[in-house]
Amino acid sequence: MVIFTAIFGFLFFRNLTYYSELSYQLMQNPYYAQRVDLILGVFAPLFNSNSIILLMVIPPISMRLFAEEKKSRTIELLFTYPVKDIQIVMGKWLAAITIIFLMLLLTAPGPFMAFTFAESSEWGPILAGYLGIFLMGVAFLSLGLLISALAENQIVAIIVSYGALLGFWFLGWVVEPDSGKQIGKVLGELSIIGHLTNFVKGVINTTDLMYYLLFIFTSVFLTLRVLESKRWRG
Amino acid sequence: MKFTRFFSRFVSTFFKRELEKVIKIENVTKMYGPTVAVQDISFQVEKGEILGFLGPNGAGKTTTMRIITGYFPPTDGNVYVLGYSILSDPLEVKRRIGYVPENPSMYNDMKVLEYLKFIGAIKDVPKSQLQDSIEKTVALCALKSVTHKRIGELSRGFQQRVALGQALINDPPVLVLDEPTSGLDPKQIHEIRMLIKSMAGERTIILSTHILPEVSMTCSKVVIINEGQITAAGSTEEIGRNLERSHQIEIMAEGPAEKIIDHIRKVKGVDNVINQGINYIVDVDKDSDVRAEIAKSIVTGDFDLLELHTRSLSLEDVFLRLVTEEEGGEAR
Repeated sequence: MVIFTAIFGFLFFRNLTYYSELSYQLMQNPYYAQRVDLILGVFAPLFNSNSIILLMVIPPISMRLFAEEKKSRTIELLFTYPVKDIQIVMGKWLAAITIIFLMLLLTAPGPFMAFTFAESSEWGPILAGYLGIFLMGVAFLSLGLLISALAENQIVAIIVSYGALLGFWFLGWVVEPDSGKQIGKVLGELSIIGHLTNFVKGVINTTDLMYYLLFIFTSVFLTLRVLESKRWRG
Repeated sequence: MKFTRFFSRFVSTFFKRELEKVIKIENVTKMYGPTVAVQDISFQVEKGEILGFLGPNGAGKTTTMRIITGYFPPTDGNVYVLGYSILSDPLEVKRRIGYVPENPSMYNDMKVLEYLKFIGAIKDVPKSQLQDSIEKTVALCALKSVTHKRIGELSRGFQQRVALGQALINDPPVLVLDEPTSGLDPKQIHEIRMLIKSMAGERTIILSTHILPEVSMTCSKVVIINEGQITAAGSTEEIGRNLERSHQIEIMAEGPAEKIIDHIRKVKGVDNVINQGINYIVDVDKDSDVRAEIAKSIVTGDFDLLELHTRSLSLEDVFLRLVTEEEGGEAR
């Protein structure tokens, strides 16, 4: 968490300084000065690069959720306590979400600082960006949860999680989405990163929202089914 | 709809359940893929009993216990705990059982007190009573000296007690203990046994073991399981008695072996004589007492009778017999 905040802070600082220099130069030219924009200039790239950091940070969180319980056999007692499977899954899921939430919360001073120096303070796009990156984080986490329930140990869980997440990430690049081919469009829509672009621009699109929510729901649902089937098989 | 359900609950609580056994295992079968772990076993445990679940390693003890505790469902059959079915009412069953698995693994980086609090919360102990039941459990399991240590740092004996503590935290009427003394030193074994014994009466306990003296020391009833099937069941004495095909008498006598054997064989009721040096082991019918006859016979033959005593079969002998017979049956 500390590492994440530090990286976020570093990127934020770098982007901000870079952009303040850039905008200073641009200010010299009246035509370009129109297009200086704190959101598109600083925060959009910031959120985009942070999606990569989330990709790296979340599998280590999600890997242990079930794999560790299985490896250390604490799951034997857990399953004999008077709780339903869904309570176990939701408990672990919400706990991990809290970590992601806190991580993002710790980055909040960034925009605050930026806005104290900026003339305009538009919170809407920032919040949309945060919502987008949070949803993407939870989507990563939910897939990680499913993989953790499937895997027998944490190392397998983390490697498969990275593989699967990168797979979803690259899906949009397999075929050029704008090449006009149907398959490119489909794969582009499936890509987990593609749906973030609108959010960071400050646009909350129902398609993007639904994509993440469905992604999360499917993963959690499959996790439940996996646990149930493992139980029946013994 | 709601009312009828409530009514049927009411009726079953006050009439049916009173009559039922605390634990009822009905025709339970468990398969792991194509492998049969437990095949069609049934037995019952009455209130306040300590049932010893005896069998060699891999006989299906742990599988049966995991089914009773709801860790996984049986492939076929059903288990009732205080009238609740493990298939249709798993939560109600789990609420009434405290389970200590073999070599229990708990959350090693939690402190004992923290862990008990956490488990108490999971097991729905009301917040107002939680502190109270933690104190009781700590006292009962003698955990006072380690409450602020991490579970992972504790000795094996203390870990076992913490495991017992997590099972007892919500004061369940049924305890299921899978090899509760394995991996402990003799002193710890003694302490745990005493603890288990002290809990009998109000609680119904199933404990599994492959150590035989443990059964005769702590249990009132025994179920012997081998290769997934029950080979014998009954009270500890019953099992010992019924399975003795014959008593054995050990004799120590000096003199020519063949003649002595002849003399012993003459006595009515003697089945078989085995000779080992000056020792003779005589199998006799279990209903007749022929010690005096044998002694007379040897003395009249003018041999020196040094010693004569009966050897009753220990549970260990019975167990070995059952298990080896079973294996013999398989081979045929």
